Amino acid sequence: MRTTTKRGFIALGVSTLLAAASIAFPGSSPAVAQDKPELRIAAIIAVTGPASALGAPERNAVELFDKTWSSRTDLPFKIKVISYDDGSDPTKSVSLTRKAIEEDKAHVVVCCTTTPGSMAIIDTVSAAKITMISMASSATIVEPASARPFTFKTPTSDKLKLQRTLDYMKRQGIKKIGFFGLEDAYGEGGLKELQNVTKDGAIELVATERFARQDTNFTPQALRLKQAGLDAVYVHAIPPSADLAHEALKRVGYTGPIYHGAGSSINAFVDIGKANVEGAIVGVGALNVYDQIKKDNPLRPVLAKFAELYDSTYGKGKVDLFAGQSWDAMMLAVDAYQRATASGAKVDDLAATRVAIKDAMERTKEWPGVNGVFNLTQTDHLGLDKRSTFLSQIKGGKFVLIEE
Amino acid sequence: MLDTLLFLVADGVTNGAVYGLLALSLIVIYTVTRVVNIAQGEYVTLGALSFASALSGAFSVLSAIVAAGLAAFALRDVAERRLTGAMRIRIVLSRALWILIVLATAWLANLLPGSYWLAVLASLVATASLGTLIYRLTVEPVSGASPIVLLIVSVGVYMVLHGTAVVIWGAEPRSVPPVVEGGVELGPVFVTYQSLFICASSLVAMIALYLFSERTLTGQALQATAVNRTGAQLCGIPVGVAGQLSFAIGAGFSALSGLLLAPLITANYDMGLPIGLKGFVAAALGGIVEYPTAMVGVLLVGLTESFSAFQVSAYRDVVVYLMVIPILLWRNAVRPPETHGH
Repeated sequence: MRTTTKRGFIALGVSTLLAAASIAFPGSSPAVAQDKPELRIAAIIAVTGPASALGAPERNAVELFDKTWSSRTDLPFKIKVISYDDGSDPTKSVSLTRKAIEEDKAHVVVCCTTTPGSMAIIDTVSAAKITMISMASSATIVEPASARPFTFKTPTSDKLKLQRTLDYMKRQGIKKIGFFGLEDAYGEGGLKELQNVTKDGAIELVATERFARQDTNFTPQALRLKQAGLDAVYVHAIPPSADLAHEALKRVGYTGPIYHGAGSSINAFVDIGKANVEGAIVGVGALNVYDQIKKDNPLRPVLAKFAELYDSTYGKGKVDLFAGQSWDAMMLAVDAYQRATASGAKVDDLAATRVAIKDAMERTKEWPGVNGVFNLTQTDHLGLDKRSTFLSQIKGGKFVLIEE
Repeated sequence: MLDTLLFLVADGVTNGAVYGLLALSLIVIYTVTRVVNIAQGEYVTLGALSFASALSGAFSVLSAIVAAGLAAFALRDVAERRLTGAMRIRIVLSRALWILIVLATAWLANLLPGSYWLAVLASLVATASLGTLIYRLTVEPVSGASPIVLLIVSVGVYMVLHGTAVVIWGAEPRSVPPVVEGGVELGPVFVTYQSLFICASSLVAMIALYLFSERTLTGQALQATAVNRTGAQLCGIPVGVAGQLSFAIGAGFSALSGLLLAPLITANYDMGLPIGLKGFVAAALGGIVEYPTAMVGVLLVGLTESFSAFQVSAYRDVVVYLMVIPILLWRNAVRPPETHGH
């Protein structure tokens, strides 16, 4: 036992030395000696820690990207993917971002899984003038674009999703709704957006109840909502809390419609809730219902291709929203690099290439991704519109698209 | 209005029953070993998760780890120089039997996936045995240290167990089927069978613990150790074994509460700590030494939680944890620290 550990330490020491040497003498690194220019993308993802449920599929998609793109020889450039795990810790996100910028000489940083992590690295990437593409949901990451010129993100915002949901509620004749959500940053963000989009007064937010991820009892709050005389309840949480909140509402005899936010648009929602969440109306991304959207939708071929690729590697029906978020980030980076080099960016000059990629990002037009159609400009660094959001109902354990 | 009240009471009592098992675990462990066990909630997690994986037919990794740990300590015990040959054989046989039970339950649950009671057994045996391992590994080497040292040790144990749960089972929550699906209408209130099962199991476990400590010699020895450690040692009670036993009981009870609760809230690596802390609030009412007062405490905590969640959902945890302050003031008033026997 002892000798193996010792040997392990020696191996570790040697590899550390080698790594240090390769950093100290960048000229000796084989990557630079290649003829073709190299696009280096650093993907910093929360594979472990509290956000690992989101980070795991994101990492899968990055690996898938690495496998399918790094080996391609038909491109005028090479792609190198550098993967890091920040453990859902914003401090680590920052240090890894620095490492990616300074040691790995990355052109684009794909980071981070969570909103706190993404917010934390903004200053670092702005100072280094390098494009970052976040996979976190909050709109504040990219707003205002003038103050965060190098920051982009792929997931659609809560605002767009909520608008879609509220439009649908209006058509259903719903007047009074209640909010039932997590009391962490995610739930708080949802509540703020809901308060924003209900400002026009067509739908009134009359009750707000909160719970925590680790709660064991959701009944009291559900009772409260039931007694508020609501036309509908909007649940803003992630599984399993979203499932438990849904079940509690049913248990206390609430019979009205129950709407769910994007947090519930993952397979785990149905896997955990099973029959109990039948009939739930969930705001979803295109990926959840990719085989149900209209054939002429520009997203359909992109979605089908990605879903097929992902499922063939990780198992049938495994593809979910979060995998699509990192996939789009990687693909956007490639697309921007391609256009930047085509318009004459000097690939030998790292700093100039980084800026050129950002400029190219801002010229992305009608680019169909897994999350929706991207139209990025200097003022809009999200670039998604209503076409990125869909509503679905849980029927027979599946997300079934609600046709509108 | 009455409906609401009944609903809140029903849920408060169910949660109280869960916290009750935790409070008992905390008291058993504290009285015998002086460890204020912050890690108590992690046994809830481990119990629930190993139950979930045993039920789904996977061979519980926890059982394998525990068996390996037991084997390691068995080797150490046998290597003890002062032992006679007969004692060595006895140790080897008893440890072998113990390891066999841990592995056999896990193996049977693996062989017959979906068998509820086998999964319960496998989970309880593994977690309770883990309790003894944790005692031997972390408490025994520093036994006799001040309570603050033991408290800090338990914080370390918490971190290790918490991380271990993520490594073994991952971060995704697992849904667990209840013992019987459905529930019963009690007047206007729908109560799931699982809730009733939780209350009943809790009650049975508490009565069993009472009978064990009052009616059996081992239980008496445990009590004696709790009252006066040195005295017990002088009477020939092996206090180390008493410590192991208390950790086994504590871990087992907490695991039981975890696997009972899992069908209601899913099993996930993060579930334990708040449950452990709420059990702690209840136990604090009894000064972490008095069982009956702690039982009043758990009902108080369960009901307070339920009602405060109804009234001010955003502050329900604040209200529950704030209860510690009046509880401590009250304890100080009725029983100042200097009159404590220990």
